[in-house]
Amino acid sequence: MKYIEDNLKELDKLQDLQQRSHWMNQLHPLGKLLTCVIYIAVVASFHKYALDKLLLMACFPVFSFVIGELSLKNALSRMKLILPLVLFVGIFNPFFDRDVLFIIGSAQGAGESGIFVTGGVISMISLMLKGLYSVLAAYVLIATTSIEDICYALRLLHVPRIVVIVILLIYRYFGLMGNEADRIMTAYRLRAPKQNGIDYRAWGTLVGQWLLRSMDRAGEVYESMTLRGFNGDFKKERRRPRWQDHAYIIAWTCVCLLIRFAA
Amino acid sequence: MHTGIKGELLKIENLHFSYERGQEVLSGIDLSARDGESIGIIGSNGIGKSTLMKLLVGLYLNYEGVLEVAGHPVSKKNLSHIREHVGYVFQDSDSQLFLSTVEEDVAFGPQNYGLSDEEVKRRVDEALKKVHIEPLRKKQNYKLSGGEKKLASIATILSMEPDIIIMDEPSIALDPRNRRNLITVLNDIKTLKLITSHDLDFVYDTCNRVVLLDEGRIIADGRPEEILRDRKLLESHGLELPLGFSRTIIYTE
Repeated sequence: MKYIEDNLKELDKLQDLQQRSHWMNQLHPLGKLLTCVIYIAVVASFHKYALDKLLLMACFPVFSFVIGELSLKNALSRMKLILPLVLFVGIFNPFFDRDVLFIIGSAQGAGESGIFVTGGVISMISLMLKGLYSVLAAYVLIATTSIEDICYALRLLHVPRIVVIVILLIYRYFGLMGNEADRIMTAYRLRAPKQNGIDYRAWGTLVGQWLLRSMDRAGEVYESMTLRGFNGDFKKERRRPRWQDHAYIIAWTCVCLLIRFAA
Repeated sequence: MHTGIKGELLKIENLHFSYERGQEVLSGIDLSARDGESIGIIGSNGIGKSTLMKLLVGLYLNYEGVLEVAGHPVSKKNLSHIREHVGYVFQDSDSQLFLSTVEEDVAFGPQNYGLSDEEVKRRVDEALKKVHIEPLRKKQNYKLSGGEKKLASIATILSMEPDIIIMDEPSIALDPRNRRNLITVLNDIKTLKLITSHDLDFVYDTCNRVVLLDEGRIIADGRPEEILRDRKLLESHGLELPLGFSRTIIYTE
């Protein structure tokens, strides 16, 4: 299926991004992870009507996309499944919060002309922005940091080993299951060229085969890991933070706090 | 990791194994191997070659008989020790390479054994050099060709500096140039190698000893020139003369 193939290619492209030699990719993963978490926490902490301050928070994604040479178009297309959910979170706010906050296009007390902007509309927009910013910040993190590095950073934060391993293996398992699904679908499609999609009678067998084959492959990968000394923990080369790593997190934390409390 | 053992690295006596009760896959294998040997394990499909290899690294432990690797019996207690000394190269390189880049995968083994960062780096450099893929160090695994994947898989094992290297069908799906390259690389590796393969020409080019398995037993054990030229022996056990030999015979006959 082209759909599976396309998704696998997207996964590969994301890995390409993670392996670039750009300076943002070379930053210490812990600094990038903490910056992302702090940014999301600050964004989430704004009052629902604080749209002006929230607009300033766009500086982080804008900086990261421009300086980090990331494509916003590609990012939005990769997040097309999540974005509608994020954007629809506050869709009902205008119906519940009808207090007029201000009027556009009319002097105060001059009559009814102009656009009435209610608290619901502002809170809806701010919720959408919060969601969008958070997703973009997470995208910046995964586009500049490999999954192994993110897991390494999580271990440095003392996230339980089992949680980190599960995250890592699930990520690896995506590709593996995708590859198996792609092979099965290609074999099916080549022998049923006139069929549009998959016959409903074949679904059960195909899904069963897919799971069995994926399990086999996963078993082999696990064997390969244990044969090379894997005992439940991924060990990575220790990386000492450089001044750039410190500067990155300090600068962004200051910017976030400045906008949050001083602007 | 090297034990420094120069003599017998592998000792198998009266080895029996079955996946299901009453259906023996291996029934009474006797085999020993010394440092520096390169042994081709040949036999038709489903006769237990891969099973025997997996037993050597302790992937199955419910065997009967004597099975000693690098001086230690294969048992749950010794698994860590044994796996430090035996490297296993899977038939499907995609199962072997599971991290993002070649370098990360080659470093995986040494890192797991708690070696220092400097030592890990030295081993990665050396392993990549041995299989001539230094330029691929930073390359993403999914971008490698079939031949490159095979060499990278071998590098992941060489970085552990094992005493024994086991390879399951290493020449499968390789084009002639990559196959030739692999033969050169394997011949440069002087540790004990156990290679299972149907590609008898490949076995002839890389091994100095051949073991023929059938019906769970060793049928013949000797020099490649003796076993791989014996058409009657090979054909009676589901194999055929290597192409190189059969061509010679056709021309001479």
